[in-house]
This record gives sequence, C-alpha cells and structure tokens, in this order.
Amino acid sequence: MNRIDIQRGLADVTDEEVRRLCEFVYRKTGMIFAEEKRYYINRRLAERMAATESTSFQVYFATLRADADNEIEHLINSFTVNETYFYREDHQFRCLTSTLLEVIAPKKRAGEPVRIWSVPCSTGEEPYSIAIWLLENWDKVDRYEIEIVGSDIDTTALRAAETGIYSERALMRLSQDLIARYFTRLDDGRYRILPDLSDTIQFTRANIVDAAQTGAHRNFDVIFCRNILMYFDDTSRRLAAENLYESLRPGGFMCLGHTESMSRITSLFDVCRFSDAIVYRRPLGDPHG
Amino acid sequence: MPLKKRESSHAPEGRAPEPVEVVVGELRHPDPERRWSAARRLGERPGAAAALAAALPGEADPRILEAIFTSLIRLGGEESAPFLLPLLRSDEAALRLGAIEALEAMPAALAAHIEGLLQDPDSDVRIFAVELTRKMPAEQALALLCRMLDREDHPNVCAAAVDVLAEIGSADAAPCLDRCRARFAGQAFLTFAITQALDGLSRTAT
Repeated sequence: MNRIDIQRGLADVTDEEVRRLCEFVYRKTGMIFAEEKRYYINRRLAERMAATESTSFQVYFATLRADADNEIEHLINSFTVNETYFYREDHQFRCLTSTLLEVIAPKKRAGEPVRIWSVPCSTGEEPYSIAIWLLENWDKVDRYEIEIVGSDIDTTALRAAETGIYSERALMRLSQDLIARYFTRLDDGRYRILPDLSDTIQFTRANIVDAAQTGAHRNFDVIFCRNILMYFDDTSRRLAAENLYESLRPGGFMCLGHTESMSRITSLFDVCRFSDAIVYRRPLGDPHG
Repeated sequence: MPLKKRESSHAPEGRAPEPVEVVVGELRHPDPERRWSAARRLGERPGAAAALAAALPGEADPRILEAIFTSLIRLGGEESAPFLLPLLRSDEAALRLGAIEALEAMPAALAAHIEGLLQDPDSDVRIFAVELTRKMPAEQALALLCRMLDREDHPNVCAAAVDVLAEIGSADAAPCLDRCRARFAGQAFLTFAITQALDGLSRTAT
C-alpha cells in the first residue's frame, strides 16, 4: 500500500512505479525524466495522488490510464516548467525584425498575413514579447497583417496566458516606459497586459510531438520553439522537428533556445547564421506540407 | 493595432484511420509530398516496419528517408530492428547512417543483436557495431568490447573499439587493452592509440 508523506509531500512509491509513470509521461509528452529527477517526479506524483484522493499508486495509475476527470491533462500540467519572462533571449527578436521579416514580408501578397507561432508559449510571456517587440521595433508593422499564435501543452498555463497577469519579476527586462504603455498595474502589485494587446494573440493547445495537434497549426512564417527540445530524447526530438517542419511554410524560419541545435537532430533545415542569431530555415522549393 | 487574431487553428476532428495498405501504397507515389506524409503516418501503425523498410532503397529524397527512419524508430526496436540490421551492409551511405542512428535510438532491441554484430564476418559491420555500443550502458559496452578485443584480428576494428573504450571505459579495460597492444605490436597507430587510452583511463582511475 502506497502512502503520501504529508510533511515532505512525497509519495511512497517503488522504483518500478516511478519508471511506469515516467514511461507514461514520455509517451504523452516526449519529455524524459531521468533518475536524478526522482524527487521532482515524486513531488508531482504526491500532489496528483492527493488531489485525486488515490490511496495507492495502483489506484492513481488506473485513474490516469482511464483519463478520469482529465487526469492526464492535470498530470501533464503539473510536470511542465513555466518559469520565463518578457524579452528573454531578445537577440532573436532583433533578428526577427532586422532580418527574418525583411526576407518574408516582401513576398507577401496583399492581405496575406505574416504568421508567427510561439510554441511552447507557457504563460504567454513570449508571444506578448513578440507582439510588443514588433510594435516597437519594426517600422513596417502597420503595412502587414500579423498573426501571432501561442500554444502550449499545459492548459493551466494557457489560461494564465489569456488572463495576462504577471509579477514584477516577469517584467524585469522591460523598460519602465514599455511597462507603462503595455500594462496596467493592479492593486496587488502585479501587472495586467492591455486587453488591446492580449486580444490579438490566439492561444491554443498543442503538443509538438503529436502530429495530429501540430497538423492543425500550419503555414507559419516564423516559429519560436525555445528551450523545450532539450527536455526530449532523440526520438521525440526527431518527431518534433518533423512536425515543426510541416508547420512552417517553405522558406520559413525557426528559432530555438541558445543551447539547442537543430543540426544535431535532423538535416531537414538549413542553418542560417545572421548577425543577431543562428536560426533554422525550411528550404524553399520543397513541396512538403 | 496591426496585429490580428484569427481563429484558424482547430484540433482536427477524429476520423477513422485509413486502411494501412492504402498508406503503404502512398510510399511509392510519384509526388514526394504524398510519400513524405505516408512515411510519417506509418509511424503510428504497428506492423508497418516491413513496408517502411522496403521503401528505403528506392527512395532518393533525403527528407523522406529521414521520415521513414523516424517512423521505424517510433514503431519500436522489437518490430524495426530486424529490418534495420541488414542496412548496415548497404552500399548507400545514407541508409547505413540512417540505420545506425535508428538503432542507437533503440538500445533494448540493439542489446539482443549487438553480440552477433560484433562477430559479423564483415569488418565494416563490426566497426559500425562498435560505434553502436557508445549508446549502451557503459558497463555492458565495456564487457562486450573487451571480449571482442581479445578475439578481433582486424586492426581497424580494434582501433574503433579502443576509441570507444577510451571514452566510456574504466581501469577494468586495461588488461584487455594490454593484450591487444601485445598482439598488434607491429601496428604503430594501434599501439599508440592503446597507450593513449591506457594513460587516460589510469588518470580517470586516480
């Protein structure tokens, strides 16, 4: 019989049970949790066992497999990491306006939108950062229709993204001027993004290792997919790369986190070394997607 | 505001899966887009490994080759490994490399075949097999490579094994490396590589 150590918030589970849970999470998300993450896994498991009033791992795992009360979604939400902030790795945003959009935009027909996908978008800091950056730094912003979509596997994070309320810490890289123009300070000291801006971003659920879900997200000119592939194993990285490739238009660009490299995963993309960033491009002229 | 929101992305509606023979047939379609799509969809169809592997030799588009290998990986080693192993003998570099990458991603299935690969009559296959041990648990790889070094008579295969042992080995590898150095005393490049490996392993041990 498994128990939860209330004081320490840990579930009393065997190595084999942890392995089964990790395998389940891997199959659903592509995320690998190694042995050294056992404490992290155990804390999440204890939270979910308590929330579902499961008296043992077996009871909880049966609930999970049956997806009773959307337990798979709850578990995935508890496993994801949503710590981020505005204007993170902004050299890529500089690259977006100085180079990428200068390549993409002139090829657009009248009324054809420039489409940008932020995935995973966590609680919205990245898609809002892209929007603010474009409004502030791209002098052609008024000439084009721009669609920004933010997607994440974590539905709790997506709801927070739509609400658009942030702590001062999340805004640490924004100037006071930007904060004053794009946010409203709330009584509790947090900040809410202006509705005019939050209303322009579409938030959707997407798991980048699920081709059926990414298949509903197509024809993007630029994809920001940062700091997620590093949590995947080789197989999931390959699958995610193929899914993202299909979501890009031919000639479209992809930005990864600074520790990530698409070249080590797949040869599907061309490497583009620009002065502000290294990005990956779906080759022009191939007909896929 | 120039930014526009468009409700354009919807989850696809559930549809009954196509008959697998139909998707397999698409692997030979003249349109590369259809072949690419079929290769990707078959990664979710258990039992499709044979058809995917059969499409590899005739496929010239590297992107589709990559998608086929990804799907073989997704189908799992138990189903796919038997179709990947013969590709280690292929004259096509893209197929050999694709097979190696795919086999590296299925260590459990590989473990069942690696001993045989390390004794293959073809020295090139033995070298590929040595490379594949890099992704195995270090203790298991060390034991396999030490056994191989004691019987291997091709200096290039031994050199490949020495290279891997230098990276993943421990002081336990020293006796077999010593024996190999004595057997190949006339092969200067190999004795040099072994001496370097032994130096490295002894530094790691201290």
